[in-house]
Amino acid sequence: MTKTHSQIETLLAALLQRGVNRIGEILIRGEFELLHHADADRSDLQFFNNPEDAREIAKYDESGNFRPLKTAPNLRCGWKLVLRDLHELREALDCFYPAMPGVLFAHECSALEVVDLRETLNRQTGMYAVTKKISNKQANELIAGFCRSDNGCLKTILWRIDANTPVTSLPPCKFDPAANQLGQSVLAIPLLCHEACNLLVAAARNKVKSE
Amino acid sequence: MLSKPDSALVIVGHGSTVNPDSATPTFAHADEIKRRGVFGEVVCAFWKEEPSLRQVLYTVESDDVYVVPNFISEGYFTQKVIPRELDVTGKVTFRRTRKIKYCEPVGNHPRMTELLLHRAAEVAPGISPRETSLLIIGHGTSLNENSGAAVKEQVQRIAARGDYAEVFGVFMEEEPFVTDWRKIASQPHIVAVPFFVSDGLHSYQDIPVLLGIEAEPTQAASKMDVFRRNPYRVAGRSLFYASAIGTEPLFADVILDQVAAFDSEFAA
Repeated sequence: MTKTHSQIETLLAALLQRGVNRIGEILIRGEFELLHHADADRSDLQFFNNPEDAREIAKYDESGNFRPLKTAPNLRCGWKLVLRDLHELREALDCFYPAMPGVLFAHECSALEVVDLRETLNRQTGMYAVTKKISNKQANELIAGFCRSDNGCLKTILWRIDANTPVTSLPPCKFDPAANQLGQSVLAIPLLCHEACNLLVAAARNKVKSE
Repeated sequence: MLSKPDSALVIVGHGSTVNPDSATPTFAHADEIKRRGVFGEVVCAFWKEEPSLRQVLYTVESDDVYVVPNFISEGYFTQKVIPRELDVTGKVTFRRTRKIKYCEPVGNHPRMTELLLHRAAEVAPGISPRETSLLIIGHGTSLNENSGAAVKEQVQRIAARGDYAEVFGVFMEEEPFVTDWRKIASQPHIVAVPFFVSDGLHSYQDIPVLLGIEAEPTQAASKMDVFRRNPYRVAGRSLFYASAIGTEPLFADVILDQVAAFDSEFAA
């Protein structure tokens, strides 16, 4: 069922209209063909045409390992997903990069609530309550390894460690929504991180417990 | 029939960072509800996967939002973690122009008894319940005393029907433990049904080891050719192990029923 374009879909359409046709590792061509940007010149791609197929494509990396973090820079190659309309495009993007279109829309409307790391960790309970103990130095070390764009995560970080403590262990472009996190010069639809994910919280637990 | 074209449905699952099958039933139920066109928007959110509980409300545009936890127990997650992460303060939370309605988890639904019995009969065809110990397996946790309540309630209901010679609730993290089945079950046949929402880490990889039907955790369910090789001979008994109850397609109806139940209780 195709309904009237939502505001989120309208934002995506406006970005594509301006020629911003990359998101994460994906290239969007025409109306609407999605593929891994590294496959732009290939003609032997496996064809898909259902937005939900994106969920399966995004599930495992090239080696068959489960991808719990969909914005990790290890989306597999070799596929082409052809979609009928903007609504399907948005659905597929929500499978490849969950929540990212909606989070970007909220950011554009100044409605995105950014939450600093300390606030995230301080509200944890149960097995993650121990993460409150992480020091700023440990947090910076952890983020440097876990969130780095080249082999961690392609999101742009919007949060700080706390109100007075920015993350200092990653380059300035990691915090710039205008920067393409693949290090390429072409414009990309940003993947925004407004709050530390559960994977980083879990890693913080390991960091605290191992030191 | 339920029709909510101006509302969004958020189905909340636990998810996993290591098991690829944990989120699968939650997505399947969402896809089915989406296919029926009941809601204007249908999305999933997870504690351990994406979209996260902190992201999901940015992905829907409706002002009227129903949240149904695809969880078995009314416990630690449904009472503490999900409300905290979604920043909901009660059954109904108003935020800006939005009304967020927090429904009961699927495991509280009256049809669970019927679904558990159906699973138990299906996995052990031709085996007499009169010579069978039925094990309903739950997670249980010391973090919340209610966690095992859903299992205990189902055990009471099924035992009261008198079909099975014995019915026990056993748990991963509280007593009686799954490994205790050899001590408490007396019948020649054992039917074990995981009261879990998916064939994820616990029900597919951990519990088979605790039951004694696998020596060590196997690969994830989606990586195996066959589901299970029932019956297993363990401790002189024949043991039948079922797929997790939450993989039952009827869970989509249960999710919609929890929305309808919310409406009738809180006069939508």
